[in-house]
Amino acid sequence: MTAAVVTKAAASPPRRWSSFARRNRTLVVTGALILAIIVLVMVLPLLLTDPNATEPSRRLLGPSMDHPMGTDKFGRDLFSRWASAGRVSIGMTALITICAVSLGTFIGLVAGYFVRVGSVIMRIVDAWMAFPSIILAIVFAVVIGPGMLSELLAVTIIFTPYTARIIRSRTLTLAARTYVKAARVSGMGPWKTLAVHVLPNTLPLAVVQCILLSAGAMLIDGTLSFLGLGISPPTATWGNMVADGRTYLQEHPTMVLFPGLSIAIFVFLLNLAGGSLRAFVDPRARLLLDQRRRRGKVRA
Amino acid sequence: MLLVILRRLRDLVLVLFVVGTTLFFLLRSIPGDPAQVLLGTKASPEQLARLRADLGLTGPKYEQYFHWLGNVVTGDFGTSIHYQEPVLRVIGDHIAPTLTLAIASTAISFLLTVLIVSWAAVAPHNWVARLVNRVTQFGLALPEFWLALLAVYVFALYLGWFPTSGYTPLYSDPVTAVPQLVLPVAVLVVGQTAFFTITMEEGVLGELSQPYLRTARAKGLTERRIAILHVLPNAMLPVMTTVGLNFASLIGGVVVIESIFVIPGLGTTLLDAVYARDFPLIQGVVMFIAFLFVAVNLLVDLAYSLVNPKVRVA
Repeated sequence: MTAAVVTKAAASPPRRWSSFARRNRTLVVTGALILAIIVLVMVLPLLLTDPNATEPSRRLLGPSMDHPMGTDKFGRDLFSRWASAGRVSIGMTALITICAVSLGTFIGLVAGYFVRVGSVIMRIVDAWMAFPSIILAIVFAVVIGPGMLSELLAVTIIFTPYTARIIRSRTLTLAARTYVKAARVSGMGPWKTLAVHVLPNTLPLAVVQCILLSAGAMLIDGTLSFLGLGISPPTATWGNMVADGRTYLQEHPTMVLFPGLSIAIFVFLLNLAGGSLRAFVDPRARLLLDQRRRRGKVRA
Repeated sequence: MLLVILRRLRDLVLVLFVVGTTLFFLLRSIPGDPAQVLLGTKASPEQLARLRADLGLTGPKYEQYFHWLGNVVTGDFGTSIHYQEPVLRVIGDHIAPTLTLAIASTAISFLLTVLIVSWAAVAPHNWVARLVNRVTQFGLALPEFWLALLAVYVFALYLGWFPTSGYTPLYSDPVTAVPQLVLPVAVLVVGQTAFFTITMEEGVLGELSQPYLRTARAKGLTERRIAILHVLPNAMLPVMTTVGLNFASLIGGVVVIESIFVIPGLGTTLLDAVYARDFPLIQGVVMFIAFLFVAVNLLVDLAYSLVNPKVRVA
């Protein structure tokens, strides 16, 4: 079970699905679990009670058959809040990731193709990569008020450089290829060349970046909502549910446990899936995976 | 070498200039009159005018900007509205807890990482080595705010081993201070150790494919000696750069941890300044954090060039 086989499976016409699944067990299992969680939080809110419906007679109950996660101080069912919070948190993560990766891909393409402008752009990008995202989010929360927009702006700005750097270095190699030069010589404009010949070859990298960045995006989204700088109540997010439960930590630790654990598990799955996907596009990652397998007999 | 340091110092000044200028215009683009917000609707016009003058809010924007810039260059970051003290003094009063958390957690994480990865490198078929990869991935996935609350529940509320919150300066009363620091530092250590371990483990795996290992084996060194003498020192180098790069996320973590454990550090100061709309203080703290970040990376790079002659020319 070497890395070479994995590459061949990815490159040649699709082989049998089962053999792919056997070779990339981590990827298949984590991918399936991620999809399952997404479907769950999309479907559950349709079946459960309104997450904002209060029932003052049933305040602060522990987990039971009626309320699998208990109720909060307004008597709202925490399970339906958990499900709708999952929808919001995962949706927000996806939105941030898509914005950051699209913007990063665009900047990376431009910086890699127009070399002179590119080196200036990359200096700026490196400088802004350096800034603590929480601090930037705090600044945006002050300037435009805490909420979805300030969070989206702040986290997108922080995450864009990571994609930009990777896409740029790929574009630099691609721009030197003969077929790209041929396209230019035959009279194709630079923007069209980028769109038709370079962009498609950077897309696999961008997709893997999406998975890897979304793990970080989910953590930052949680932290910002927890601090009251992201999406705020009554809209539930996993982060602000933890913040809500904080007051009742002693009596009802489950109020903190479930939403935070959901973030941890989802991020863990994204990290694992991203890590094994990376092996398809990054030769260094493939080498590392190969070494790891040989030494520790860890499954890919 | 001197040239490198000078160039880096120039970059430091540039970064501070860019961060400060951006922040200046961002904070002043907020609609509404900060003086009105601070004093409320009942304030008299004279009071408003005086506060505006105090905040440097009179005259056109560019004039305000150069006025502010001139003050900053001479070391005057303005006066905090909330504390009624110079911003720099407020920062000075609150920096000790933040630095204690940052330095203690980084040092402990670094040590732990070296221990874990060395163990895994020397005995690759040991259960520790097999688990390292998965466990570190999980450590990276744990949200700090949640881990902190769980730690408070288990070790403070349930077991009662440590206090739930609070901070005492280390030098004034170590007996109270150390137990108060255990939980916050431990939470920061988990995420950092996971991150460092992944970097260093990748370093070890990368070194294993190097040709010099064949020479080492050929001259009869045991696998254990190869791991300790050749692989680990080389694998430790990238971790040093990681310490610098990780500083940004460490600061983010420290802000959260300070707010949960009620530690009067820079993070709490910044959050309070945000809630109180204390613009001079926000500006000062953010610029100070940017300064810390660049300075830490400068130090890390200098230390790196001391241990690794290969990068000394750069």
